[in-house]
This record gives sequence, structure tokens and C-alpha cells, in this order.
Amino acid sequence: MASAGLITGYAEALFSVVKAEGDLERVEDELYRFGKLLESNNDLKQALSEPGIDRSQRVKLLEDLLADKVSPHTLGLITFVVASERGRQLPDILEELGELAAEARNSVVAEVRSATPLDDKQRKALAEALGQATGKNVEVKVLVDPSVIGGVVAKIGDTVIDGSIKRRLEQLRERVGENR
Amino acid sequence: MINQAVLFAAEEGERSGLDLVLPPLAEVVGGTIAFIVVLFVLTKVAFPKLREAVEARQNEIEGNLKSAEASKTEAQGMLDDYKKQMADARSEANRVIEESRQQAEQVRKDVVAKAESDAEAIVARAQEQIEAERTRAVSELQGTISNLSIELAEKVVGRSIDASTQKDLVDAYIRDVAGMSTNGGRNN
Repeated sequence: MASAGLITGYAEALFSVVKAEGDLERVEDELYRFGKLLESNNDLKQALSEPGIDRSQRVKLLEDLLADKVSPHTLGLITFVVASERGRQLPDILEELGELAAEARNSVVAEVRSATPLDDKQRKALAEALGQATGKNVEVKVLVDPSVIGGVVAKIGDTVIDGSIKRRLEQLRERVGENR
Repeated sequence: MINQAVLFAAEEGERSGLDLVLPPLAEVVGGTIAFIVVLFVLTKVAFPKLREAVEARQNEIEGNLKSAEASKTEAQGMLDDYKKQMADARSEANRVIEESRQQAEQVRKDVVAKAESDAEAIVARAQEQIEAERTRAVSELQGTISNLSIELAEKVVGRSIDASTQKDLVDAYIRDVAGMSTNGGRNN
């Protein structure tokens, strides 16, 4: 397990580069989404951190996977971390990066999972509602997750506000289990 | 004596009638004297000896009778003892037989009671196992039905949520979250 200092150090370095290169919003968003993709995809995470796989192969894998989907800055930053043999810590580094960027704007990140994308109006309304609920300035980052089925799950730090159909079905399952 | 015989013979020639039947007087006297002498001798010598012998014999017989009586009494006593012993033995045998019978009956009752108790315990255990198995099977079945129902519900709900429904759900969520600020917050 990497130390918090190492993760914060890499995150701060990446944040500095992103700020310096401009296009902050897009790169930050792409990095955040890629970090969440890695969290849910163990095979990809393993391929990027497995010592038995050559560094050039990992870089080639990233290029094949992301070249036509993300900006060159985003790909360059991810490749830098993976080439530095920190592929295993990449999800934590990218999450920390998102939090640093939000903090710089005096905000906190709300990770919102929804079965379908939210429109701008919904995003704005949701950010305002979460801001009212937490008393903080909230930046909403929406991840499309079909397992949610319907509704929305928001996670701010350690706080989870779950309004998904998935959660309601789980509660139904728990209630049925208790009544057996 | 010869003289007397000659005298009688000589006199016979002169006697007649009743004299022929009656002995001559000399013979009667002689015979009487002889009888007296013999009687005296017998009385003095033979009769006491004879009486002693008779008395001895009588005493012996009486002794034998007493002895026999004692033997009889003794035998009777022995017979009584024997009968008593026999009665005691029979009574003891009956008592032993009765005790044995009672013990056997008790053993039989104990064996039957234990068998009944064991059988009841086996039946109770079997019923408990059957009940536990039934409960487990019902619970498993309920769990399976619940899981299938919820999985089916997930599929049905997943298919029935269109863009409009999702929008309504998100809007409702936003309203709920906005309301939390006034309700003190809610964590799930």
C-alpha cells in the first residue's frame, strides 16, 4: 500500500501540469473518469501494474485504449504515472487529483452514479441540492452506471446519499429476508 | 411200688362195682402226699423261678414297649420336624419364586418402560429433525422465491424505466436532497 504522501505528491504534480497546460476542465474530467474506470476494472488495473508486463507494453496498451478518446494531455499524464511503475496507485492518485482541483475552486467533489447521463439542468440542480444538504460548494461528476437501474447515488467523501432503484430493491430483499 | 402194684393186683381180684373205678385209698393217700410234695417243691423252687422269669420277661417287654414308645415319640418328633422343615422349605421356595417372579416382572416393566422411552425419544428426535428440515426447506424455498422475485423485479423495473421515468426519479432525488438541508441530513 502506497503512503498517502506518495499519492498526494503525484496528484499535486499532475494537478500542476494540468493547470499549466490549460484545458483544465476537460483533462480533469477525463482523468477522473479513467480513475473510476480503473476502480471497477480489475483486469485493466492489473495489466497496468503487473510487474511481469513490460513498461512499453503498458504504454502501448494505454495508447491503443485511449488515444482516440481522450486529449493528448490526459494520455500523457496517465502514461507518465504508469511508466513510473505507479499503475497500482493510479486510481487513488486520480481521485486525489479530482479532490485537489475541487479544493482549488473551494469545492468538494460529489461522485454521482446514474443509469443514464444527466442533462446540464439536472447537474446544476443536483449540485445546488447537494450543496444545500452539505453546506459546501459541490462539483458534480456524473458516472453512468447501469447497475444503478434507476435514480441516483451521490457520494461526497464518506457520505453516501443513495436514491437508486438498486438500493430500494436491496432494501426490499433485506426486508423479505428478515420476514423469512 | 412194686409192692403196691402187687397189692393192688391182689386186691383187684376181690373188688367190684364202684371200687373198680375209684383208686385204692393207699394210692390216693400216696398220690396226695406225692402231689403235696411236688406242689411244695414247685411252690418253693419252681414257681418263684418261674415268676421271676415271667416278671423279668414282663419287665423286658414293658421296657421294650417304653423304648418303642420313646422311639415312636422321637420318630414322631422327627417327622414333625421334617414336616415343619418341609413346610418351611416350601414356604421359602414359594417366597423365592414370588420374589423372582416380582423381580422378573419389574425387569420386564423396566425394559418395556425403557424401550417406550427410547422409542419416544427417537420419535421426538425424528420429529424435531423433520421439523428443522421442513423449516430449512421452507426457508430456502422462500429465499429462492424471494431472490427470483426480486431478480425478476429488477429486470421488470430496469426495462420499465425509460428516459421520462429516470428524469422523474432524478428530479425526485434532487427534491429529497434539497429537503435534507431542512431535515438535518440523511446518510444511506
